[in-house]
Amino acid sequence: MRGLVAICKRELLSFFVTPLAWVLFVVFLVAQGLHFQLVIEHFAQNGLLSDQTPLQAFFGNTVFFYMVLFLFVPALTMRAFAEERARGTLEALVTSPVSTTEIVVAKYLAVLLTYAAMWVPTLLYVVVLGRSGPIDFGATASAYAGALLVGATYLAVGILMSSLTSSQLVALSLSGLVLLGLFLVGLVGESFAKDGTALHDVAVHVSAWATMNDFAAGIVDTRRVVFAASLILVSLYGAVRSVEAARWS
Amino acid sequence: MSARLSSGIGASEAERPRVKPVLEVRHLEKRYGRVSAVDDVTFEVRERQVVGFLGPNGAGKTTTLRMLAGYLAPTRGHVRVMGVDLEDDPRGAKRAIGYMPEGVPLYPEMRVEEYLRFRAELKGVAKKSVAAFVEEALALVKAADVKERLVGELSKGTRQRVGLADALVARPPILILDEPTAGLDPNQIREMRALVRSLGKERAVLVSTHILSEVEATCDRVVVIGKGKLLAEGPTASIRAKASPEAVEVLARGPSSLAENLRAVAGVARIEINAAGEGLVALRCVLREGAEAGLVAEELAARVQSAGAQLRELRATGGGLEEVFGQLTDAVDARASRDV
Repeated sequence: MRGLVAICKRELLSFFVTPLAWVLFVVFLVAQGLHFQLVIEHFAQNGLLSDQTPLQAFFGNTVFFYMVLFLFVPALTMRAFAEERARGTLEALVTSPVSTTEIVVAKYLAVLLTYAAMWVPTLLYVVVLGRSGPIDFGATASAYAGALLVGATYLAVGILMSSLTSSQLVALSLSGLVLLGLFLVGLVGESFAKDGTALHDVAVHVSAWATMNDFAAGIVDTRRVVFAASLILVSLYGAVRSVEAARWS
Repeated sequence: MSARLSSGIGASEAERPRVKPVLEVRHLEKRYGRVSAVDDVTFEVRERQVVGFLGPNGAGKTTTLRMLAGYLAPTRGHVRVMGVDLEDDPRGAKRAIGYMPEGVPLYPEMRVEEYLRFRAELKGVAKKSVAAFVEEALALVKAADVKERLVGELSKGTRQRVGLADALVARPPILILDEPTAGLDPNQIREMRALVRSLGKERAVLVSTHILSEVEATCDRVVVIGKGKLLAEGPTASIRAKASPEAVEVLARGPSSLAENLRAVAGVARIEINAAGEGLVALRCVLREGAEAGLVAEELAARVQSAGAQLRELRATGGGLEEVFGQLTDAVDARASRDV
């Protein structure tokens, strides 16, 4: 456990001493700021006609929310193992008295904490909205929980992709493609498969769009949580196996 | 002789210091498909022993050390660390090993002290002891003055020292160092050798190298491998003693008939006249098997004097690990070509 904490701390420290971290933070906040502005403008013009609150629209009812995820999640996770492999430091890490599971979980927690920290400044949007009307704090909390859940799932996939290569660029591209694929499978299946078919049922649960719409509306469906948790576990287990496979290569 | 050496020579148990083995390697094998990188390697390292792991480039040294450190899994065979099987209890076994990988990979963005604190925590050093252990490791490798520096800004020699401090930081009873002098300048090599030697007084050290003089300078015992196979294992002196004819070279000012006078010295098998001119005579006196080079040199010096010649230079040559190593690796090459 101490090894896990030490690796997690080092990951955070190493990330935040690089310009990449601060560039990602700034670009993330600028992108979210513009996104928020678009939502507010939309509601200023059509607010009375909409059946949603601005926060609901902001959390997952526009394509911007997902575009930001596709760009930032791979950028956060690409370093995890690819950089260690390229530098040779994975050898020092793996020969330390810590298990591969601890290494993978520590790296995952580090990117998850970073991702969560990136969302913290957006709480100001809630304050801004609170000035012009009442806020449903329950729905706001579940909207943030949804953003965390979808992000956590995507980050686990990103960690798995990073464990497969020694090139950060390959890890970035692989993660971006796989996440986009996962998103499209859910969205297309949900939109085009016939209601009541197995394909539609699966797609509805895979769909990040549907997940975010539920959470933003204050609906916490445990099946979605279970699906996300399963995908996280499978991805992290894959990463553990991928790192351990190097012992047999 | 090479056949005898390659059949797994080793000192008898009586020759070995009466200390228990801390690292036991038994029939270790690593195969990549049909290619065998390490093939049936068996040896052990005992407490307070510096063991040289010697072999030419590509002999399988790094692959073997990586298996000992738990980075690679052996295809067959066992590694026992302080009596614990590495595969059964990897965490326990790794705790007893301080490993410095080849090329000393470090995190360039971290400060030296910060890095070593991280490594100490990772290796399970108690929280309240971390600072003291880091200080101690830095002092041992004489790198306390760079603790505030970024790793990425360090010179190659200092990086090696930090890598060594990393291996030492949790006070492991066993150090495994993969080519610790690679890429260093002559002064740094000397310092690193002295450091390895002094570290061996307190703990077991297994140090790989392809440089023979390094083994002669630092190691009590030597394990020689070539093409993945164990070629020889034993005390450095006993392996060196197995080298074929040593000789004493004489350079003197005097008559060319000096060779005739020296031929009578007991212990000299034959004399080769290497060069002569400007009144100088250069002779290579090849020793009989079992002759002691020092005694022969004394007698040669006396004979040169009594013959009225002036001695300029007298030195024993051959009999170093170079010769043994050459014979062993030639033997394995010859076997390989026969098998093809």
